[in-house]
Amino acid sequence: MSVEDRTTPSQGETLAFEFDLQHAPEKVWRALTDPELLAEWLLPCVGFRPETGAAFTFKTQPYPGWDGTVNCRVLEIDPHRKLRYAWVVGDMAIDTVVTFTLEPTATGTRLSLEQSGFKPEQKPNFGGARYGWKMMGGKLVELLAKAG
Amino acid sequence: MQPAAPDELFKALGDPTRRALFERLVSEGEQTVRALTDHAGISQPAVSKHLGVLKSAGLVRDRPEGRQVHYSADPKGLEPLVGWMKLYGAFWLERIGRLERLLERMDE
Repeated sequence: MSVEDRTTPSQGETLAFEFDLQHAPEKVWRALTDPELLAEWLLPCVGFRPETGAAFTFKTQPYPGWDGTVNCRVLEIDPHRKLRYAWVVGDMAIDTVVTFTLEPTATGTRLSLEQSGFKPEQKPNFGGARYGWKMMGGKLVELLAKAG
Repeated sequence: MQPAAPDELFKALGDPTRRALFERLVSEGEQTVRALTDHAGISQPAVSKHLGVLKSAGLVRDRPEGRQVHYSADPKGLEPLVGWMKLYGAFWLERIGRLERLLERMDE
C-alpha cells in the first residue's frame, strides 16, 4: 500500500486529531462501519457498504447553510486498520477526504482522524501552513468546548 | 496580551511533556513549579523551560509568591485555535465524544 497520504498545499488544509480509546480496534471498527452504530455517534447513514468505490450519504436535519446531507464515497478500506472516504458537502462547497486510522495499543486503540482538502478561504483565521492537532485523552477537548 | 499565532500554539502543545504539563494544570488547577516537577519526572529547570514556552504561547499564567511560582492554565490561550475548531473541529470533537460513549455501551 502506498503511503502518499501526505497533505500538500494543493490538497488544501488538514484537520488532524488523535484519540486513545480504551477499546479494541475490532470494536472501534464496528462503530466506524456499521450503519446502525454510525447513526448513533456520527450521523444517520444511507447506503454505506464496506467496499472501495461505494457511494453513501450521511443525512441529518437541515441546518442554516446546510441541507443536512454529506455525500460520501469509500476511497480505501483496510479492515480494522484504515477507512478513508470522500466527504462532500454541497451547500458549503466542502470537498474533503476523511481518514480514520486505527492502531492497536496496550490499552485499546489509537484512533487518528484526519479531514483534508479544506480550501484556504474556508479557513478565515489562519494563513498558510498545515496544522496538525493531536490530542491525547479528553481534557483538551473539554477545555476547547469551554473556551468556545 | 496579544493571542499567540496558531503555529506557536501548535508547537507549544505538540510536545508531549508540555501537553502533559498543560493538561495537568487544566485538570488540577493552579500548581507550583515544584509540584509540577514532582509529577513530571524531569528536572525543575526543564519544567520551568517548558512552562516558559506555554506562557509565551499564552496557555498558562504565572503568579510568583515568595520563593515559589504558581502556574495555572489559561483557556483563553486556546482561542486562536477555537476559530478553526469551531468551523471544522468542533463537529468531530463532539462526535468522537459520542463514539467513546457508544463504545462503552457496545458488547465486546
